[in-house]
Amino acid sequence: MVFFLQNIINALQWGSFYAMIALGYSMVYSILMLFNFAHGDIFMVGAYIGFGVATGLVTLSATGFIALPGWVILVLTILLSMFLTSFVGMIVERVGYRPLRDAPRASAAITGLMIGIILETGNLALMGARRVSFPPLIESVTYNIGGVFVTNKKILIVVVSLAFMLALHLFVQRTRYGMAMRAMAFDFVVVPLMGVPVNTIARLTFAIGSALAAVAGILFGLAYPVLDPYMGIVFGWKAFVAAILGGRGSIMGATLAGFLLGFIEIFVAMIFPSTLRDLIAYSIILLILVFRPHGFFGEPYSARLRL
Amino acid sequence: MEANRDKSPSHPPRGKGALRRACGRVPLLGWLLAILCAVLLEHYLGKALADLLGLRKIPVLLGVVTILKKPLLMPKTVLFVFLIYALPIGLTARLIREPANWLAERLMRMPVLIPAAVHLAILYAILHIWGDVSAYRVLTLKLTLIAVMLTLSLNVINGYMGEFSCSHPGFMALGAYATSVFTVGLFATDKIFGPALLPEALGVYLFPVALFLGGMVAALGALVIAIPSFRTRGDYLAIISLAFLFIVKSMIENLEFVGGPRGLSSQPDYASLPMVFSACALCVWIINNFVRSTIGKALNAVRDDEMAADAMTVNTRRTKMVAFMFAAFWAGVAGGLFAHVLRYVNPATFGIQKLAEVLAMVYFGGLNSVYGSIVGAVSLSMLSEALRPLEIFKWIIIPLLLILVMIFRPTGLIAFKEFDGRRLMQPRNRPDNEV
Amino acid sequence: MALLEIRHMTHHFGGLRAVHDYNLSIEPGQVRGLIGPNGAGKTTIFNLITGIYRPSEGQILLDGAPIAGLAPYQIADRGLGRTFQDLRLWRHMTVLEHVKLAHYSKLRYGLFGAFFGTPARHREEDRITRRSMELLEMMNVAHLADQLVPNLPYGAQRRVEMARALATGPKVLFLDEPTAGMNPEELIQMMAIIRKVRQSLGLAIFLIEHRLKMVMELCDIIQTLVFGEVIAEGSPEEIQNNPAVIEAYLGKEIVE
Repeated sequence: MVFFLQNIINALQWGSFYAMIALGYSMVYSILMLFNFAHGDIFMVGAYIGFGVATGLVTLSATGFIALPGWVILVLTILLSMFLTSFVGMIVERVGYRPLRDAPRASAAITGLMIGIILETGNLALMGARRVSFPPLIESVTYNIGGVFVTNKKILIVVVSLAFMLALHLFVQRTRYGMAMRAMAFDFVVVPLMGVPVNTIARLTFAIGSALAAVAGILFGLAYPVLDPYMGIVFGWKAFVAAILGGRGSIMGATLAGFLLGFIEIFVAMIFPSTLRDLIAYSIILLILVFRPHGFFGEPYSARLRL
Repeated sequence: MEANRDKSPSHPPRGKGALRRACGRVPLLGWLLAILCAVLLEHYLGKALADLLGLRKIPVLLGVVTILKKPLLMPKTVLFVFLIYALPIGLTARLIREPANWLAERLMRMPVLIPAAVHLAILYAILHIWGDVSAYRVLTLKLTLIAVMLTLSLNVINGYMGEFSCSHPGFMALGAYATSVFTVGLFATDKIFGPALLPEALGVYLFPVALFLGGMVAALGALVIAIPSFRTRGDYLAIISLAFLFIVKSMIENLEFVGGPRGLSSQPDYASLPMVFSACALCVWIINNFVRSTIGKALNAVRDDEMAADAMTVNTRRTKMVAFMFAAFWAGVAGGLFAHVLRYVNPATFGIQKLAEVLAMVYFGGLNSVYGSIVGAVSLSMLSEALRPLEIFKWIIIPLLLILVMIFRPTGLIAFKEFDGRRLMQPRNRPDNEV
Repeated sequence: MALLEIRHMTHHFGGLRAVHDYNLSIEPGQVRGLIGPNGAGKTTIFNLITGIYRPSEGQILLDGAPIAGLAPYQIADRGLGRTFQDLRLWRHMTVLEHVKLAHYSKLRYGLFGAFFGTPARHREEDRITRRSMELLEMMNVAHLADQLVPNLPYGAQRRVEMARALATGPKVLFLDEPTAGMNPEELIQMMAIIRKVRQSLGLAIFLIEHRLKMVMELCDIIQTLVFGEVIAEGSPEEIQNNPAVIEAYLGKEIVE
């Protein structure tokens, strides 16, 4: 039982990374009807930007010029990185997606893939092949609650993720821009005729998705401090699967499916040898999609790739 | 009319138009023979010329690698390429234009298999002689031919049938492992499979059988995608195929008898250039036959409007099943060849990177087009070899190039074009056959 | 026995009753019309008969054999050819390829022939090419054979679709609003073509139409459908004079 609870905590943490990244995929999908295949790499870029900002602040703080406590640095890092990474997202949208808005969707998928490769290679060229380690901004404290070990970082990660997801939900439901987003998700053809600035909304969507990916990157860096340029591939593709599993363009679905994927992975690893994790996790996903072909919250409609 | 215009003094041939007209009237046979001359020239005189010019060795890939490695050698390299390739090809093509046209016309009067065989034989001779210069060239050629097979077979699904399949590296892996298990198990002494059961010399003849089996295993694997595709299309099928890719990869990682994540080695050296070339030619021929037949056109109908296809007596389920299994078969064969060219496979090869590579070739070359797949696979494989001296910056230049192609030609360079071998081999001395 | 006979066909979408107790019997060579206001369920009836939906209840007999529940391609192969209200042509295929593809189920060369280009395949392909060209000539679009369909004018697209439906070798031809969106000139051409098809091929034709002039001129027997139920069936004169029809449908149209 204790073991079980322990794994639930782990799964919540693991799932919140997936959910945060899947949200980015899902938002772009709901508005532009295409997948931003570079999103996994934006997560990676976000983690590196977070690393840069955090290291900078820690060094600054160490010089004694302005001594900042760890949690302040963390908050500053998150905010600054969100801001910076959102520009990366907007550039990606401008370069890779806006010119292709009327092109076949598969072509946009290819540009996304290629932008992802460029981001990975660019990072490799800038930072070199060595892995970098994320500075431990807050001291790790472990609480023992009836035999279940919970670190303060895990709690922080889950709480911060949930807070951002809630904020996103409120943004989409309550604000004028959020309303425009929902309208565009509903009908991409008519809404532009009604005075909604399509380009602005598309850019905003990419910016928000990227900012969330940056948060996920920093939180990931806190939990697993080793970063490498290809970390976006593994996470990105899995989160992409989660986004689809949740149902295309459904924010709620993406969140739940992200957590579900985290649970599947952690519990598979708990029961079976860990090398079987991907095999079983993907087999479950495949079965879910075969028997529920439109995900959990997706609208069943006969979509096909426009050629 | 067109033919007379050249002779009449009132229309002097000028600039690009003239060049085009002069080139346009050389038949394919003429070009092939001209290139054959050039590679023969390089074979016999290349070393001497390279010494003369002070180049350390013959530039391997038309000098691009040399120029990128040592920019100072650029004038010499360009001169070499001009003297060995450009000039002889241009001259020979012009000189043998008439005889080549005559010969092409004679050949085309025979059953189409004969001119096809002649053209292929010359093409093979060119590749063989060109490859003789260095082992690196042979390896590049083999990998390029395999890339052509992969690209073309993926185009059957992504282009002709309009689904976005991500499982091609998975099919390739199935073929690679099945073929390797067959050959390593029977013909090689290996620490996993023990001593060879049959003499190794026999294996060369059974290698096509092994490839066929590899292809069939991949085709069976394709059922996992084909059956859901009856109900699911578009994005969800793309994810099913992606999940399949990950499943195959991680299944192989967990199979200890094929070496798990460490991979499988000691494949016998069966994938010679003639073997790879024949497999590739067969693949192009069969796929081209298929997509040009009315049965193959059913793929296009399913893509453009499935309901209409159904109402016009097309069995859409059968069509999808055939398309997936057929494409997977060739991916499996390509995988088998790949394993025997490198003589080593490991599951990590068949991941997202391979997927991005094959997708890039399909969409760069052009959807729904055999020409496009050949052009895409050859140009991207060659480019990726030629830009090797740039190291990682290669992976910035090639993606940028692809993004540009996608922006300006979203369906690829040569999309929706039929590959008509008969037309390609026609003599070009008559105006209606000019290109 | 009738060529096509439908008995007590009923269909529900979820809780919604779309078609109720529909009966039909078509004799060879007959032209039947189905009229009714928008949303009456006319296209649904076509889709039920041609197998796109499976009827909740009832029997459909073609030449005495039940066809309800078969896949659309099987039904088409047995002799129910159709056109669509919204055309549904294949964007990347030429006119000739459209008509050739509709011979799909009659091809005998199989996958082996398709892969290896056997002589049997060339013979078959030549045969269906000739037959397709004949059909295109009949529809006056033979000169467009190598064009991609999106490049054609609307009237020509309609005729290509008709040629494609005829290529399946139907016993009954289902035309779903064949003149929708046509200008008067195209309309006259289309009527001439329908007459020609009827005379030269001797098919039975079942058509949905909005333009009453056309239905009245072409059809032998007309059914009027309102809310999924046939409220009147008879000759054009009978339908024109039927008070229920006038109330439900004609009333508005005649004023137009």
